[in-house]
Amino acid sequence: MNIELKEIVFLCVAIMTILPCFIVAFSRNILHSAFALFFTFLGTAGLYFFLDADFLAVVQVIIYIGGVLVLLLFAILLTRNIEDIKTTNSLSIKHSVLAGIVSLIIIGGLLYSYISNRWVFPLRENPDYPYFTIKELGDLLLTKYLLPFEVVSILLLAVLIGSLVIANRSVR
Amino acid sequence: MDIININSYMIISLMLFLFGLFTTITRRNIIGIILGIELILNSAALNFAAFSKFSASNLEGQLFSIFIIVIAAAEAAIALALMLSIFMRHGDINADKLDRLRG
Repeated sequence: MNIELKEIVFLCVAIMTILPCFIVAFSRNILHSAFALFFTFLGTAGLYFFLDADFLAVVQVIIYIGGVLVLLLFAILLTRNIEDIKTTNSLSIKHSVLAGIVSLIIIGGLLYSYISNRWVFPLRENPDYPYFTIKELGDLLLTKYLLPFEVVSILLLAVLIGSLVIANRSVR
Repeated sequence: MDIININSYMIISLMLFLFGLFTTITRRNIIGIILGIELILNSAALNFAAFSKFSASNLEGQLFSIFIIVIAAAEAAIALALMLSIFMRHGDINADKLDRLRG
């Protein structure tokens, strides 16, 4: 039983991904939840690096951390006073018992289906997996997945205009 | 030991999904609910990328992950605009108090 250095780093990255989820789920202060989400996103980017998905990891860091998380922090800071931020993220006891039961049922069902079906996944990576993913992703985006690419660009344009319209109407 | 396999990725993604579901159900603040939804989308993208690496022969799973990330960013932008609008109108973003449509 010998553990390589790569696997130790993988374990640390996985723990860095999972552990802040406790803070996201149970913290009373919503700023702490948002900053814990930063570590989760960073750990997910590290897991993408372990999957040899270099472009995806960089996209994760740029869009999730640089875009989504900053937007959420702006939302927190724009909608709440700083003084009462310690009590802004209250859990409801009834809902948390219900959510715990639902989560346990779902994890039990998934584990039961996983054990009882005996799925055989290939544990090793494919030998013909491309080493640099950016060129292959660009080829796929501009040939086979050109229509979803254009649809997503139209969606982004609609989001840009729509968010401006909604936020502007509220200010007026 | 060979722990970097698809089972580890599925366990990590399952944990992320369950914490996201718990956060989405239990929070009263709308921003907390959005945080839970981001966790769920993140776990889905991670699962797509893991299956693309371990049991497919091409990169289409990573492409789906990129689409998921783009849609999550769009959702966060719209959510920020909606939350600002709700806060300007009601002065509160507690999800339990937004019951004007209740009959």
